[in-house]
Amino acid sequence: MIAPKFMPVVFKQLWRHRVRSVLTLSGVAIAMFLFIAVQTLQEGVRRSTQAAAGDTTLVVYRENRFCPAASRLPQFYVDRIEKIPGVVSAVPVKIVVNNCRASLDVVTFRGVPRENLGGPNGWASKWQLISGSVAEWEKRSDSALVGETLAARRGFQVGQSFDASGITVTVAGIIRSPEAQDQNVAYVHLDFLQQAAGKGGGLGSVTQFTVRVDDPAKMEAVAEAIDAEFRAEADPTMTSPEKAFVAQAGADIVEIVKFTQWLGWGCLAAVLALVANAIVLSVQDRIKEHAVLQTLGFRSSLIARLIVSEGMLIGVLGGAIGTGIALSVVHFGNFSLSQEGLSIGVSASWSVLVWGLIISAGVGIVAGLVPAWRAGRREIASCFRAV
Amino acid sequence: MTTNHTNHRTNSSGPPLIQCRRLTKTYKKGDNTITPLQELDLDVPTGDFLALMGPSGSGKTTLLNLIAGIDRPSGGNLIIGGTDISTLSRSKLADWRSVNVGYVFQLYNLVPVLTAYENVELPLLLHSMSAKDRHEKVQTAMQLVGIADRHDHYPRQLSGGQEQRVAIARAIVTDPTIIVGDEPTGDLDQESAQAIMDLMVQLCEDLGKTLIIVTHDAKSAAYAKRTLHLEKGRLIEAAVLAARRAPLVPQEA
Repeated sequence: MIAPKFMPVVFKQLWRHRVRSVLTLSGVAIAMFLFIAVQTLQEGVRRSTQAAAGDTTLVVYRENRFCPAASRLPQFYVDRIEKIPGVVSAVPVKIVVNNCRASLDVVTFRGVPRENLGGPNGWASKWQLISGSVAEWEKRSDSALVGETLAARRGFQVGQSFDASGITVTVAGIIRSPEAQDQNVAYVHLDFLQQAAGKGGGLGSVTQFTVRVDDPAKMEAVAEAIDAEFRAEADPTMTSPEKAFVAQAGADIVEIVKFTQWLGWGCLAAVLALVANAIVLSVQDRIKEHAVLQTLGFRSSLIARLIVSEGMLIGVLGGAIGTGIALSVVHFGNFSLSQEGLSIGVSASWSVLVWGLIISAGVGIVAGLVPAWRAGRREIASCFRAV
Repeated sequence: MTTNHTNHRTNSSGPPLIQCRRLTKTYKKGDNTITPLQELDLDVPTGDFLALMGPSGSGKTTLLNLIAGIDRPSGGNLIIGGTDISTLSRSKLADWRSVNVGYVFQLYNLVPVLTAYENVELPLLLHSMSAKDRHEKVQTAMQLVGIADRHDHYPRQLSGGQEQRVAIARAIVTDPTIIVGDEPTGDLDQESAQAIMDLMVQLCEDLGKTLIIVTHDAKSAAYAKRTLHLEKGRLIEAAVLAARRAPLVPQEA
């Protein structure tokens, strides 16, 4: 945009009105903080609800139920599900949550049969164990493998016992998983949870079945076959791809998060107005100075680019501060939005950081365009006459 | 009586550096049309030191600005160094200024957030040269005007005379053909004004520059090789001027 040799001039012009520049930077940083916070929410929703081409997981739930407490299916369904063509495996899962409503701090227990979690092909094989061991979990019936996000949020350590919803478990290990759902749950033994949950159904009753199919293309057909299998039963099922199920069960959260994109656009508009205001004021103060620069031989376009660079610099600096703070808060806060026992991870990624910086720089440039254009087209002599 | 377009051409053998032909400038101010310069003819040879004098509103600063390429004539031709600058585009004119003109303002017009060194360096940023070459040129210019020891001083830390020296260094650092000054001593005390004029004369002679200044001060004008008077946008003949002044001189019996 401008040669590096001009950058000291741009920096010094911003430093000229320190208070104004710092206030503008602060405003930009706050607005970008909000924008990035909204973006991390949006990204969390996208990751949790947008189907990928390779998805092979179905969730079988009680028809017309979305709350884990209300979805009760007989555990013996698992044998019939496994016989349906295309099904690789079916795992009965009992889910108990301490809060069914939308919340930032929900403890979700997932009861899984010992044989489905441990072993070489068990669920634990795709997780990274940060501390503790799966063997320890297998040994103790009241033990739990806790997702990293939940452990960090609640400060759980291996060997520590904790209580939620009247269920007391001991942490056998802390796991890291690419799936948001795993990051925010405590995996316990199915039979233990069935007994501990009491009112939730007792032994033989599960919340859902997690089904893996052999081909992503067969997802729909297998789902229809499962629902057809149990249509005549007392507890009919509703089967859907896992991410579609998350989107449906967490519809309230998804809607709210979708709405927040307008807040994000509002934040960008605030950045635009702030930077534009600062640049307009700055340019008005320097009409004569720009005339002097033109007298020295600075082209109008160079003057304009210097002014635009000021806007860009404010945008980038403010954006970097706001984005950095937002990503730090998200990273260290270990937030996840939960509803009906399903989690939408609020996580920061490098792409959000890069986009934050690009967008703030872009908004800074746009904010500087009009004052730059106006400054560039002023006649030198008329500037001297006017001042 | 005022002159028209035939009276202020020089008789040097080569073409003059600056040739003004029927140079006219008008601009609008509200509903009124102001004509600060009317069909003015003027030749300025290379190496000349010309002082422009006249009452306020006589058009001397307008003429200076036209020659410096920071204003455009409304009529006539302005040929400098063989280039009719009235036909140049806005950006070409800016490039032309950066090479050919050094401007010294009455109120110095240094950039307040830049040090003396950085102010002098500013015009060089427009030229393709290494940082080392820029540094050498700035050092040379600052030494020439006697402010080499004020590198890191900001304009607010300098006296008026020192500021004007920085401004002169900024004007000469690109080695322009023409140096123009709009009342370069107008804001200085007598001692500083004298020092600045001495400096400008010295630079003009040593570096072979063509120097044109606008001034109200007869003492400053006295440094020039030629002084031209303007009134209502026209040049006044020296003889006419002398005749006007004559009654003021006591007559001897």
